[in-house]
Amino acid sequence: MDAYHSYYGVEWYFFLLVWGIIALGSHVYQVGFVVKLIRLGKNDDRFNSWKQRTKEFLTDWLGQRKVVEDKLAGYAHALIFWGFLMLVSDVIDLSTGGYFAKFLGLIYLANLWNLIVDIGYLMAGIGILFALYRRLIVRPEKLKDSSLEGVLILFAILGIVITAFIVEAIFMLGDEPHYNYWEPIGVLFAKLMQDIEPDTLQVIVDVSYWLHMILIGGFLIEIPQTKHSHLIGTIPNVMFQDHEKMGTMLPLQVDEDNAAVKTDDLDFDNLTLGVNKFEDFTWRQLSDGWACTACARCQDVCPAYNSGKELNPMQIIMDVKNYGKEHGSLLLAGESPDETIVDRFSPEAIWACTTCYACVNACPVHIEHVPKLTDTRRHLVMEASEFPEELQNLFNNLERNSNPWGLGAHTRADWAEGLDLKIGEPAEYLFYVGCAGSFDERNKNVSRATAKLLKAAGVDFSIMGEMEMCNGDPARRAGNEFMFQMMAEMNVDNMNSLGTLKVITACPHCFHTIGKEYEKYGGKYEVYHHSQVLNELKQKDKLKIKDYGDKVTFHDPCYLGRIGGETEAPREAIGGELIEMERSREKSFCCGGGGARIWMEEDADKRVNEIRAKEAVNTGADCVAVGCPFCMTMMSDGLKTLGEEQRTVKDISEIMLENLEE
Amino acid sequence: MNIAVLIKMVPDTESKLEVNDGALNDQNFKYMVNPYDEFAVEQAVQFKEAEGGKVTLLSLFSEDNSIDTDLRKMLAIGADEIIVLRQQGYRGDKPLANAKALSDAIKELNIDLVLCGIQGIDYYQAATGTMVAQMLEMPNISGVTSLEYNSGTLKAKRQIEGGLQTVETSTPAVITCQKDMTKVRFPALKDIMMSKRKPFENKNVDPIDSKDALTSESSLPPARDGGEMIEGEDAEEKINKLIEKLKMEAKVI
Repeated sequence: MDAYHSYYGVEWYFFLLVWGIIALGSHVYQVGFVVKLIRLGKNDDRFNSWKQRTKEFLTDWLGQRKVVEDKLAGYAHALIFWGFLMLVSDVIDLSTGGYFAKFLGLIYLANLWNLIVDIGYLMAGIGILFALYRRLIVRPEKLKDSSLEGVLILFAILGIVITAFIVEAIFMLGDEPHYNYWEPIGVLFAKLMQDIEPDTLQVIVDVSYWLHMILIGGFLIEIPQTKHSHLIGTIPNVMFQDHEKMGTMLPLQVDEDNAAVKTDDLDFDNLTLGVNKFEDFTWRQLSDGWACTACARCQDVCPAYNSGKELNPMQIIMDVKNYGKEHGSLLLAGESPDETIVDRFSPEAIWACTTCYACVNACPVHIEHVPKLTDTRRHLVMEASEFPEELQNLFNNLERNSNPWGLGAHTRADWAEGLDLKIGEPAEYLFYVGCAGSFDERNKNVSRATAKLLKAAGVDFSIMGEMEMCNGDPARRAGNEFMFQMMAEMNVDNMNSLGTLKVITACPHCFHTIGKEYEKYGGKYEVYHHSQVLNELKQKDKLKIKDYGDKVTFHDPCYLGRIGGETEAPREAIGGELIEMERSREKSFCCGGGGARIWMEEDADKRVNEIRAKEAVNTGADCVAVGCPFCMTMMSDGLKTLGEEQRTVKDISEIMLENLEE
Repeated sequence: MNIAVLIKMVPDTESKLEVNDGALNDQNFKYMVNPYDEFAVEQAVQFKEAEGGKVTLLSLFSEDNSIDTDLRKMLAIGADEIIVLRQQGYRGDKPLANAKALSDAIKELNIDLVLCGIQGIDYYQAATGTMVAQMLEMPNISGVTSLEYNSGTLKAKRQIEGGLQTVETSTPAVITCQKDMTKVRFPALKDIMMSKRKPFENKNVDPIDSKDALTSESSLPPARDGGEMIEGEDAEEKINKLIEKLKMEAKVI
């Protein structure tokens, strides 16, 4: 018994052909529209390293590597995803009246194919039930405000699965049942339905078949319109994921070797500074929106969102997509809508980002949230000159005295008085102190501790003294790329003139910028965080450190752990028994100071550092160990506001120095 | 409306101060635009944007050209040209001589309005602007906190002890600008780039003999005694101790 017969005197395939043309036509038209929109974006050549990309695609897309990090939702999704990959060819069979299976039979593959498809439907069905259980019964907090879209889609695909089994089953029934055990679930369904009257069965199979085909066609029409677009959108997103080191930013202009064009040679007449128009983004930035499934993992980990600020990283991704959809025809006609990208994001959201990259790290499909915000900051600073007033002081201070506080550049090495350090001389290591370690009273102590430990271990190092400048990171993350580049070029000149090869720094922002960003500006160095060097000295017994007795927890700095990839050296360096916070290592929660946020105002009731300080307090530790000058300030302030000043905040080097055996 | 803005290059507030035998060592000074003059530039550019015309920046300095980069930033804000009067032996503490050199230069320009900061943050004499007005025989309004221009008439507000004074005058006039008269814009990058193409003229002028009062000796303020930290169990105890000390030891309350 089957559904392949005439209805009201018209052959079944005529109806199917009409529906197929409508559904497929609509699908292709809509996808074409989206592709045209994405192609408006600027060039970003990621069509290289195909071997690595294929591998990543297989593990991240096919293998669902990051999707399954969230266990319930992840495995439910993986089941549905793998199930659908296995069953998708069934639609060819159903729309050719069974000829596809017959063809496979000729090459002896029909049975295997039947089995695969059947298991596919089963996996998808189980996955959907789990997903419905999560959405309707567990109801995680973050899904409370989500639309009905997700649930409706789940019921629709559940409909596809159930109708498939019914059709499969009834095809086995007839005057004489012929059970095909290569379709085990189909057989199960068939046995349940074998006693039904043939006339009724005929109605059921007809209805099921057409419901199945209507749902599939409906999906073809719906996919490009909703978050379901991720079915297609994730393919380029995962395939062309960022191969630059995490946290690195694109220079204003690059030459053929991907090095930054020097500030003096920048082609300002043809340069777009930052992003305010849809087409100012690169194509890969534009494609993100159609890969997003609104899983809200970025939202869960965002310090700005979780402290009640305007910014929601997921909304930023949706904003780009919706902006493209709403203004699509204008954009494709080459015209500019009245509303700009900055209007859509809102300046408050743009300035709330700490550039901690937790969102990027959490996203299962390699969406790049942070560059969208730093790019619009570039526009606001360099093009529009509209930014929080505090930043004007920051920029002036950096320009005049090359440090964010604007303190006299000639006092940069005052912290080292009496320590008898090499200043401005060649040595094996350059100790790049950074601004906080040079000018901030609390952090000067960290510089002294680090220098004392290095001396105690007999390391040959020097500092740059007055020649040292800010590495430029605060200016850069605040959107002043031009100022960053000028500072980077001067720093690289100075460091190269000292013959610098190896750098030690106690600041993760210096660690990141000098180690990972300066290469494009002509500076290639081996850069170590002080915890890495000090730990190695400890492990090699060049520094004898007693085990630390106090209860201590370590707060991973974003630019050392998640972005910098170093989570173990600081822990080993501290030693003793660490109590971990709930979020640690790569999943550490920002102190709120990154992205030049430490220089901007923060509403008293929306402070990121208080959230993190609370997490530290919850461990019961007496001491919060940090490895970043900004974390030092933010965590100390956070504990103070919570009235927990009895808990100390110490840098790794300070803890080590305290426990150094003479 | 053509406007001249007088700009004094002053030592950066973070410069290292050294005194040798009663004389200030200015060898290691870095210079910056006097912050009060920045308000004047911003105000001039706003007038130009509304009324048209040209903004000429006029600065008097020695032959040292390390000031050029910082000075050029004023062009990025929107001024049209810079003329630096280079004078051998220039000193910032000789208002009479400096006003003479500046007013001579202004006479050669066709100017409707002269703007400058009320004082330089190097010597705080608040004299040059007013002297320039005298030498040019123009009306002077000093210490202006807000300024409006309406077809030939200037309306200025001045903060005076316990009140606000509104003053009107016709142009040409010399206005000296008080702190926070207007918010100085941060130039966009394209304006910074454009400013590199704007005229920057150096003009040698002769030293001027004047009857200026002379600085006879410079010295640093005496080093402060270390403060006293008030110890205590909690905030309340500390505050009580502080009040006690203010009453008994300092006798201020």
